[in-house]
Amino acid sequence: MMWYHYLTFIALLICLIGLSFHLIRLVRLGAPVDYSRRRGDVTPAIAYSFVGAMSPTKKESAYLHLPTYAAGLLYHIGTFTSVILLFVYLLEIEVGGIVRWALMGLLTLSTLSGMTILVKRMAVKPLKSLSNPDDYISNFLVTVFQLFTVARLGGAAFAPFYFLSASLLLLYVPIGKLKHALYFFAARYHLGLFYGWRGIWPLRRS
Amino acid sequence: MTEFPENKRRALKILTDPKDSQLLTHLNSCVHCGLCAESCMYYLTTKDERFIPARKVDLVSSIYQRYGTFTGKYLPALVHARELDDETVAEMVDLLFGSCTLCGRCTMHCSIGVDITAVVKAGRAMLAKYGRVPATLQSTVNAALNTGNNMSIPVEELRDTLSWLEDELRDEVNDQHASIPLDQSGVNVLYTLNPREPKFFPLSISAMAKIFYAAKERWTLSTTMYDVTNYAYFSCNREEAATIGQRLYREVQKLEAKRCVLAECGHGSRAFRWEAPNYLQKPFAFDVVTSVELLAGYVREGRLKLDKGKNQETVTLHDPCNLVREGGVIDEQRYVLSQAVSTFVEMTPHGVDNFCCGGGGGQLSMSEYGDRRMTIAEIKADQIRKTGATVVVTPCHNCVDQLIQINNKFKLGVTIKTLAEVVADALILD
Repeated sequence: MMWYHYLTFIALLICLIGLSFHLIRLVRLGAPVDYSRRRGDVTPAIAYSFVGAMSPTKKESAYLHLPTYAAGLLYHIGTFTSVILLFVYLLEIEVGGIVRWALMGLLTLSTLSGMTILVKRMAVKPLKSLSNPDDYISNFLVTVFQLFTVARLGGAAFAPFYFLSASLLLLYVPIGKLKHALYFFAARYHLGLFYGWRGIWPLRRS
Repeated sequence: MTEFPENKRRALKILTDPKDSQLLTHLNSCVHCGLCAESCMYYLTTKDERFIPARKVDLVSSIYQRYGTFTGKYLPALVHARELDDETVAEMVDLLFGSCTLCGRCTMHCSIGVDITAVVKAGRAMLAKYGRVPATLQSTVNAALNTGNNMSIPVEELRDTLSWLEDELRDEVNDQHASIPLDQSGVNVLYTLNPREPKFFPLSISAMAKIFYAAKERWTLSTTMYDVTNYAYFSCNREEAATIGQRLYREVQKLEAKRCVLAECGHGSRAFRWEAPNYLQKPFAFDVVTSVELLAGYVREGRLKLDKGKNQETVTLHDPCNLVREGGVIDEQRYVLSQAVSTFVEMTPHGVDNFCCGGGGGQLSMSEYGDRRMTIAEIKADQIRKTGATVVVTPCHNCVDQLIQINNKFKLGVTIKTLAEVVADALILD
């Protein structure tokens, strides 16, 4: 193992400890107790919150903004793929053949999506007015990580830069908005619980 | 936090000492994608960036970041963490009270699932602790706290109004035994009123009395606590909201009614059915239903016979946010209308996607934001116009009030009715 492997393992450990702090705090606080009389069924509503309600046909944030939605989706697929590949490379397993080329193609597209989203944030006035340095840093770190993942798939020469970008990203996750990787699931759970309790979700179109 | 003034300490405690994980989750979840903008009537009609729902979340979240997170405390510039100072408070009042109807549309369409309404309400709760609820809204709450109803109607005035309504009911149904029972114990239904009804719209009480008569229901009104509204739900002062909720809870218990039926009032239905048990920290032993559900039940059970032919005009429906998107009463009013009117046409969008009338969130009582309220109402006016309907039905008296103003301002030439009024018009009496 090289120094950058150790660095990444340490960053991963710090990241996991940081996220564990957030997770433990959420679990300890627990879900709200609702004394009102339940009207619906919360389990299918929570499932709907994660699946049906995420459909682009159900959310204006998707169907009114299809290019952005598509870019965001691709970007997130690229992120998850890159995280999985990080573990692969930490275990010093090489990816080869057609899989390697397919992943390079996918991650090139997702990296471009990330760049597009970053440019949009800098250029579109309403979005710019909403943004803080954390938004730019988060987007930048994830995009660079994906870019170096493509490079690492291309060959081992970029390994130090790849692991360095991964380490920076891992260290930043618990303190910036990237922790939505955890809070997203909690938010969908709470939304499903809220709408399910009142019998609104799963949605039946009137 | 002992160095802070008491009101600031109490305001911050809402963010830094959460009771459960819900608020904490939503304060940490927004990614500033800004895609919620097109779900908000304020942004759609003004294109003012300040009104983007994510900005409202960010305002509250930035205070949480400053006082409740490592990043916000030590690297405030990174996340634009903000002090809770006079400038921030003024901005909170303007954005959280003055430019949000708590309609919940942005929440349902958020790409992440942030409960934006919950965060705005947390911000309003902070302002309530800070003593910065708009005076106009607070005066409505105070009227309810001091007199038992938000319009300060004296009991004698209510009794007089109900007395002549009872006389009219007897004439209309041609039965001298028909009545509007007051303060009866042990009945099936304790019916509530929005104080706008006895004050401005008594015909909606007549309509409901006629329906109860036709359904042969054992019901009563209370003369001491009949107000379905709870404006402290809007001001987010939990203690005051609990006091108002407790009064109605005690009245149902005192009169030993089997069911409390909530008059056509979106926020009132929400405040008592969904919020009051949590304000009071106990489940209710009696049924709480909205009059919309009650009417649907009567029609389904054959207790009401309706003739669609009596309502020949084209009717559309405005869905009150708190009843529909936030309360789950979605199909019942449509079923009732399908039985009570000849021609029904939906607005686009409708149901859980419907736009607010613009009067929600306490906007009707906050006159200082009246111009804004009528600016955003343009969306509702367009929706109504496009249906071609001549009658707009809505099961909410606050919505009725706002829709009447929209009708006048945008010269729509429609008639605004409650659901009970339409049903009463279609009744076939034996």
